[in-house]
Amino acid sequence: MALADEQGHYESKFEFPLWKIIKQHAQKKDISYQQASLEVLPDYEKGIRYRDTAYEEEVIGKRLKEMAEIAQRAKR
Amino acid sequence: MALEQIADKVVDTDVLVIGGGIAGCPAAAKAADHGLRVTLVEKSNTTRSGSAAEGIDHYGGFFPRGMTTQKFLEVAEEMGQPFFDQRLRYAHPDSVYRMYANGQWAVEELEKLGVTMRWTDGEYRFRGCHHPGPFLRVHWQNVKPEMAIGIKKKGVNVMDRTMAVDLLTHKGAVSGATAIDTRTGEFIVIKAKAVIMASGACSRIYNPETPQSWKYKYTYHWCPASVSGDGWGMAYRAGADMANFEMAGRGTRFRDDKNLSYGNHGNEGIPAKSINFEGIERPRGLRSADPSGNSEPNYNSFEHLPDDYHKRIEVCYVDERLLSFKIAEERGFDPRHHWYEIIDNRPNQLHFGPGIWTDGDFKATLKGLYVAGDVLHGNGGCFAAATAGFIVGDEVPNFVNKAAEPVVDEAQLESLKQAALAPLSVKDGTEPTELEVSVRYVCDRYVGVSRAEGKLREGSRRLGSLRREFLPKLIAQNPHYLMRALEVRNLFDIAEMHITACLERKESRYEHARLDYPAADPALDGMFTFQRLQNGKKVFEMRKRPEFNMALYETK
Repeated sequence: MALADEQGHYESKFEFPLWKIIKQHAQKKDISYQQASLEVLPDYEKGIRYRDTAYEEEVIGKRLKEMAEIAQRAKR
Repeated sequence: MALEQIADKVVDTDVLVIGGGIAGCPAAAKAADHGLRVTLVEKSNTTRSGSAAEGIDHYGGFFPRGMTTQKFLEVAEEMGQPFFDQRLRYAHPDSVYRMYANGQWAVEELEKLGVTMRWTDGEYRFRGCHHPGPFLRVHWQNVKPEMAIGIKKKGVNVMDRTMAVDLLTHKGAVSGATAIDTRTGEFIVIKAKAVIMASGACSRIYNPETPQSWKYKYTYHWCPASVSGDGWGMAYRAGADMANFEMAGRGTRFRDDKNLSYGNHGNEGIPAKSINFEGIERPRGLRSADPSGNSEPNYNSFEHLPDDYHKRIEVCYVDERLLSFKIAEERGFDPRHHWYEIIDNRPNQLHFGPGIWTDGDFKATLKGLYVAGDVLHGNGGCFAAATAGFIVGDEVPNFVNKAAEPVVDEAQLESLKQAALAPLSVKDGTEPTELEVSVRYVCDRYVGVSRAEGKLREGSRRLGSLRREFLPKLIAQNPHYLMRALEVRNLFDIAEMHITACLERKESRYEHARLDYPAADPALDGMFTFQRLQNGKKVFEMRKRPEFNMALYETK
């Protein structure tokens, strides 16, 4: 990962894609960021694939195993 | 003497709700539905106050319709149980059952209050993650304004910028509370037949590790600076039983001003990788094995995830903490390439474990005092708060309709008034922040994660010394700073309960770790710590937690 001492980390601006859309919308409509966020969210969500079943089943299964392991350690 | 000669304002109501948050607003709304006169006091502004001020992205942990208790427990077992186990550890099992069993009803009541639970497509969006049982992903950026509007429509008398200071009691029962207007400085008496305490938890007796911690900055958006345990101080001084104050929460947070929400990722089911400072992946949720913290820093990574997951995190930020975008922008933080440093081994707030003790019907040991939300022992989170709030609001009429007119003891009132307004008369004294930082220092240094007899006794001695020497010298130049001074008074009571409980529990269990008693003592299995003030004297005892008998609930 890009560590704190590598060039670029904490040195340059970064915008979450949704944040960029929110700011642009707010500027265009002359409204608050908060109001803009509510207005742009529905369209942004349409572009998100919320159900990636195969991947989710794999990671949720892994998570269940991790939690069971943690529960076992807590009991000891 | 008439009360109007002692107080600047007198309010007469049936039910006083202290705290305008996720528990207080439902409680007020439901009590008002029954035709009661309801007054709600909130020391900031109900529209954007408390832990839900910036929004919430999830709601839940409740039985889906048609699920039996047995099935629910099986689901929790499959999910590794620690979450459900955590709930039962500190709470009265009857109250836990009632919250879970009434979860669906609470969802319907929230919709009636004007708080929508549905996703953008109009359907409910259930998630299954670290909560046993389903929970909902919700777009609750505006949950507070919606609740504030909802309760006003129901005729609740909302007193914003009004800090409740002390409970009034008469012959072992509550009869209302004193309060101050944090703008005008008016001293207010609120007479009430019943009081619902919904004032939240406490996030200010430990150092938040933010830059310039001596300023009133957020410790974490979920438990912000305004959450100072006022209800705990009030209930303790009034003589109610207080439970489990050795259990400080060590919930995981992100470092860097704790402003990039950890909770968001879990609530959306985002599978982060947990990596230590050597770059080695470790199981998520595993508390650092080394209490000294020498295994830190630890990180969460989202680099491996498809773009859809990053977009889902962004939607979480809109729902729960819009500010996170701006902060990330200014710092150049990009979770597609950078790791979040996490803190998971610091006592950062008193939450989930400690609280005002109640029976299974949310009634405290003081007659007429009901409790809901994070201020309640063994509870936390918006689901528990809202559901308990609705239950209490629905049932308080049974008490109020039979209760006599509240009696205010004038001598008690005069004494409480003097104590409340004293900082305004101090000419050359101690700033509230200065004293608060000293309290946090005592907890950080002498309590913390790894406790021991000698450290705790020194902490107790120092806290006592600070209390005797500096608490009477607290200075407040205006009503707003009077509020800060009164918060510090509450923090002293909470820190004192915290240290006492840590001293008395001579074992290690859950969030309580003693270096000198490193193992759990079987003799203390299922035992809770209790404290109260009785005739001005501190009383401590340990009592067995009520048993959870599932057979009793199966037919309900």
